[in-house]
Amino acid sequence: MSLHWDVVFDNWRIFLDGALLTILLTVTTMALAIPGGLLLAFLRLSPIRAVSLAAAAFVEFFRATPLLLQIYWVYYVLPAAFGIQLDQLTTAIVGLTCNVSAFNSETFRAGILSIREGQWNAGLALGMSRAQVMGRIVLPQAVMRVLPALASTWVSLFKDTSLVAIISVPELSYVSLKLRAETYRILEVLTAVAVIYWLLGYPQAKLVDWIHRRWKVVE
Amino acid sequence: MTHTPILAARDVRKRYGAVVALDGVSLDVERGEVVCLIGPSGSGKSTLLRCLNALETVDSGTVAFEGRDIRAKADDARLVRRRMGMVFQNFELFPHLSVLRNLTIGPTTVLRLDMAEAEQRARALLLRVGLIDKAMVHPSALSGGQQQRVAIARALAMEPALMLFDEPTSALDPETIGEVLAVMKGLADDGMTMVVVTHEMDFARRVADRVVVFDHGRIIEVGPPAQIFEAPHAARTRDFLSHLGWHGESIDIGIKEKT
Ligand SMILES: Nc1ncnc2c1ncn2[C@@H]1O[C@H](COP(=O)(O)OP(=O)(O)OP(=O)(O)O)[C@@H](O)[C@H]1O
Ligand SMILES: [Mg+2]
Repeated sequence: MSLHWDVVFDNWRIFLDGALLTILLTVTTMALAIPGGLLLAFLRLSPIRAVSLAAAAFVEFFRATPLLLQIYWVYYVLPAAFGIQLDQLTTAIVGLTCNVSAFNSETFRAGILSIREGQWNAGLALGMSRAQVMGRIVLPQAVMRVLPALASTWVSLFKDTSLVAIISVPELSYVSLKLRAETYRILEVLTAVAVIYWLLGYPQAKLVDWIHRRWKVVE
Repeated sequence: MTHTPILAARDVRKRYGAVVALDGVSLDVERGEVVCLIGPSGSGKSTLLRCLNALETVDSGTVAFEGRDIRAKADDARLVRRRMGMVFQNFELFPHLSVLRNLTIGPTTVLRLDMAEAEQRARALLLRVGLIDKAMVHPSALSGGQQQRVAIARALAMEPALMLFDEPTSALDPETIGEVLAVMKGLADDGMTMVVVTHEMDFARRVADRVVVFDHGRIIEVGPPAQIFEAPHAARTRDFLSHLGWHGESIDIGIKEKT
């Protein structure tokens, strides 16, 4: 069996565009899922039972069902049931954002609940409102504590973006599988895409390790 | 002219499930007065302090501060708290902020002071508690006694009319207790109104104008230190004091006598 790596080098532009879209998906999703996760965490901590139950239902749905199914669901059910027609890229971002927001919300909620009540009392005793105590005292400490968990979610998200290939979003996996089908250079193309994922993912994983060490103990 | 105490608690009751934490407590505090609360563990001292600044709601009874009923609304509770400082047993400094920012966060967010003015106020207070050189460090780099002095300064930065202390020296190493008590004594000498829960009997004897003895959610005796420590009326006060090893003598804890 002979290897013909020129298929990879001749199509570098396709790999580059795919990789850029993968990065774009990751960054955009996380940029939306951090405020999304915070919002869900606040709603879930709300004293109003209906609000916290609704948030819990949303979160538990997206945490307990496969991401693949969620992406299909957004792509096929939203248009059919609600008449909402989104293009593939938007669908991918909506699906990923819902999923990652659900995970982030649990991370934030755990962080917020880990801050002891004395910190609340100290802020309130100064005359601060609950919102001020949350924003200025509790949340900053909570975020520092959960930074390692958020970083791990980031790396998972980077890899999970490959799932949106099923709705033909031309990110790295999709373009590679397409190229494989067109050229039949299975081994070369799949090896190249694995190497690209690794080159992009490895520094992120190392960064996460560093964050874990750096923020291991706060206080 | 009618006279109103700065703080007036009337028949305050509070229970947690089956536990009666406060069983009808009434207490007036006058302007400039130092009131020490003593009593066995679990007798309701901390609960009363938290009811006084509305960190805890009362089941029945009223608390009025500067003539204002603090139970009424959340907004009222905040108005009261900005005029009432509180110091906690475990300091509860904000660990993510520098010492200076611990002192400026209240004035800037609650009183809407601009940062320059808040910092000026903070530095003056750090000077007063002897920690001006620690302005830029984080609380974790300080000893317990230093942290508690910062916590006192943080409360003072709001320029409160009254200060609540909940066992401010109970979490401290013996060698750093004196420096905190000295700061509190200085405050009392400057005329600050103070309500202090303490197990430091020597501090209570020297600094308090009045000592309040708690037991089982009730006040069992109130009087000047001389009465409480030399000739207590209630048998349970005597029991409590002798349980602490108090037999009338004074231990030197590094604070000077009132002159
Ligand atoms: N948040 C709470 N939930 C349930 N029970 C509580 C709560 N706070 C206080 N209690 C109970 O109320 C009673 C009075 O407690 P409190 O903390 O006021 O006592 P204390 O006099 O401050 O004691 P200590 O000297 O140990 O600090 C205790 O029996 C305590 O267990
Ligand atoms: Mg207590």
